[in-house]
Amino acid sequence: MARDFRLLDTFRRNRTALENHLIDGLVDGRVSRREFIRHGSLLGLSLPFLGGVGAAAGFGLAPTQAIAQGAPGATIRVACQMPAAAIDPVTVIDIGGLLMLQQVGEFLCLDGPDLILRPMLAESWKPNDKGDVWTFTLRKGVKFHSGGEMKADDVVATFDRLTDTGNASSALSVFRGVLQKGATRKVDDHTVEFHLDAPNGNFPYLVSSDNFTSIILPASYAGDYEQTFDGTGPFKLDSYRAKVGASFVRNEDYWGEKALPARTEFTFFSDIQPQLLALRGGQVDIINIVPVLHTVALAGDPNIEVVGLPAVSHTQLHMRCDMDPFKDPRVRRAVALSIDRPKLVEGLKKSRAQVGNDSPFAPAYPSTDKTVPQRERDLAQAKELLEAAGVGNGFKMILTSRQYLELPEHAQLVQAWVKEIGIEIDLNLLDNATFYGQSVFGQSPWLDSPMGLTVYGHRGVPNVYLTAPLGSEGKWNAAHFKNSQYDQLAESYIGALDLEAQKAAAGQIQRLLLEETPIISAYFSEHISAKSKSVSGVQATAMGQLYLDRASKA
Amino acid sequence: MGLSLISLFLLSVMVFIGGQVLPGNVGRAILGPLADQQAVDVLNESLGLNRPLLVQYGSWIWNFIQGDMGTSYVFRAPVSGFIVDALGNSLKLALVAFLMVVPVGILGGVVAALNVDRPLDRIISIGGLSMTVLPEFVTGIVLVLILGIWLGWLPISAAWPSDAGFFTQLYYLILPALPLFLSLFGYIARMTRSGMVEALDSDYTRTAVLKGLPWRTVVWRHVLRNALLPTITVVATQAGYLIGGLVVIETLFRYQGIGSLVYTAASGKDFPMLQAGVLTIGIVYTVATLVADILYSLLNPRIRLRADQ
Repeated sequence: MARDFRLLDTFRRNRTALENHLIDGLVDGRVSRREFIRHGSLLGLSLPFLGGVGAAAGFGLAPTQAIAQGAPGATIRVACQMPAAAIDPVTVIDIGGLLMLQQVGEFLCLDGPDLILRPMLAESWKPNDKGDVWTFTLRKGVKFHSGGEMKADDVVATFDRLTDTGNASSALSVFRGVLQKGATRKVDDHTVEFHLDAPNGNFPYLVSSDNFTSIILPASYAGDYEQTFDGTGPFKLDSYRAKVGASFVRNEDYWGEKALPARTEFTFFSDIQPQLLALRGGQVDIINIVPVLHTVALAGDPNIEVVGLPAVSHTQLHMRCDMDPFKDPRVRRAVALSIDRPKLVEGLKKSRAQVGNDSPFAPAYPSTDKTVPQRERDLAQAKELLEAAGVGNGFKMILTSRQYLELPEHAQLVQAWVKEIGIEIDLNLLDNATFYGQSVFGQSPWLDSPMGLTVYGHRGVPNVYLTAPLGSEGKWNAAHFKNSQYDQLAESYIGALDLEAQKAAAGQIQRLLLEETPIISAYFSEHISAKSKSVSGVQATAMGQLYLDRASKA
Repeated sequence: MGLSLISLFLLSVMVFIGGQVLPGNVGRAILGPLADQQAVDVLNESLGLNRPLLVQYGSWIWNFIQGDMGTSYVFRAPVSGFIVDALGNSLKLALVAFLMVVPVGILGGVVAALNVDRPLDRIISIGGLSMTVLPEFVTGIVLVLILGIWLGWLPISAAWPSDAGFFTQLYYLILPALPLFLSLFGYIARMTRSGMVEALDSDYTRTAVLKGLPWRTVVWRHVLRNALLPTITVVATQAGYLIGGLVVIETLFRYQGIGSLVYTAASGKDFPMLQAGVLTIGIVYTVATLVADILYSLLNPRIRLRADQ
């Protein structure tokens, strides 16, 4: 398609240098359309604007989320994991809990199923030149279910609550070193500034649905959330019974388009098997999350649709860089070269994953440098590396992991593959609590084992993956990887506002991690849910949320 | 009774100590393995977990004796509400299962004993044993598939609607009770059969027959009464299991019984819930054993006589 330079000039007017640089990248072909839309949304550019630029640059119209408009008034029934604890926006960590929060609460922005940020309670956002102050403009006319209007004071109170080190806030692990209590400041009733500890190019993701505790609550909120389930969302609480279920009804005062369903019902389950039976038996319409190995049970049912979304949940196989024989990076590379990634993806993950390249940079991230060569299986080279490292006759090792989803099977496959290069592995499969222990160095098999395998959940940006499990001071650094060059690169990636600068840093990090190989990330999993074919308009997110406001039944 | 109270006290000490040696800590279990350590410390402090263990135990048991089961660490709500609901549910399921399996199991044992070494005896004995060795989650899933999904006769979840009456609740409990029926039938039938075979071969049965009593009276009044004594012990032991040990069935049928309540409390380190749940199950065991002893003495006058002496 032809480019319309006059229209492009119109779009460029009143844009910052950073935004214009992104537009230049699209026009010059340095940035793909998908990367342009995703990074543009991160910088606070609206999707219609991004779509307009894309069309003017000759890429056609931007993709839209085609959601069929069904009949209103349905009751949508969902099977979901039983919330593991009281529903509390400060302490929630589990899928069942975050799903309950999200039914009534809303975020400043939404990390959608396509991993593109969309405005929610914030209409727009912008960084300063340095990237250490982000300004969010709030939507007007938004009402809490309890009656008051949502304003800047509520946003400030919400983030002060989450960043308060005197609270048992689960979000502290996200905000530590990024945002402190008192650094969220009201500019006026509908404008809020976040003053960060350091520049952060991906900050909007930390106040989006990606950080699932960050639903905006009234400034007056004082705890005991289960009594009110206050929020601003398209559904209001009808009833909640711990360990049993919850129901929600349409919020007639919602600021946006009113929800189609009159009612939603969530039934809590503590195991996947009864959920599968309930879906097949027609007692529920949707299962929020289906572990990949259980999709087989639904495959033959003509009334059920298994839905996969791109996500970046992944496993990390760590090797202790401070202990023999893994002190030598050649040994670590040899292990990585023995792994058959396509077999893991096709066999273990039933093709519902993408091959990983031993870094947290998933193919789904726009900043991932796709020119970095993919590591392939090469047993001959692996044996040469072991020989050169002085362990050509192999060695014995214990691989510690936990009994969770497909981790035991994954560990068994690794055991079989490294045997081919002479490494004998014994498996030490622990229950979750024993595996994590106290989650601090010296008191946790996860962090102390010479070789271990664990899983990390989805994140819209790789910031946490880059620092906690790989940074020299990282609190989840099970590989005990300490590399000052890496630390600097990670810092420059996190601080970069510009996509190309992010890509440049990402490329260097990816290459460095391939050389050092403190961890092996063999695949990035999809998020999988299942639903009856009679239900449409259901929108899941890779984080495990479920948006039902456009849902209807045939 | 005194022994029962001592047993319950020892149980409370054991469950408290057992809870302390579980891996991880409460704050970490609630906030997750990736939570910031400072948040974990704040939560532990707010839950009073930094107090000496003896103080924690003393405070808990004193409140428990006074009827206060404490507040759940995880759900931040009174434990008693959860325990009462779960115990009520467990009792309902246990009762339905009992009413199905005890009469049928005893009848099966009687029929087998009266046809000893004949095909009917073999069918009951081998069939019952085969069903006993099948795990409940296997029979449960098969029954759900057949009766719940393919035939659509029974609801596949035991969670009835909130406004359900007695018969609706009973209807919802049939399917979860069926795997229990299958796993217990063989056991009860075999115990009854062996008791019956022994009683049929005894002198008092021979005397009763020679006295000219009708066969039905001999079986009903003399044989069965004596043959049931070991069966009662078995049934009483199973009562505790049926109320507190049905984690698999409760999970499969999404039923909020006390077994799964205790299991999730243990895995989530929710000590007040765990301790109250285990003690409640202990009390149920104790009561069931007492009831069995009373029934035993009613059926066997010699035991009453010995106690009187």
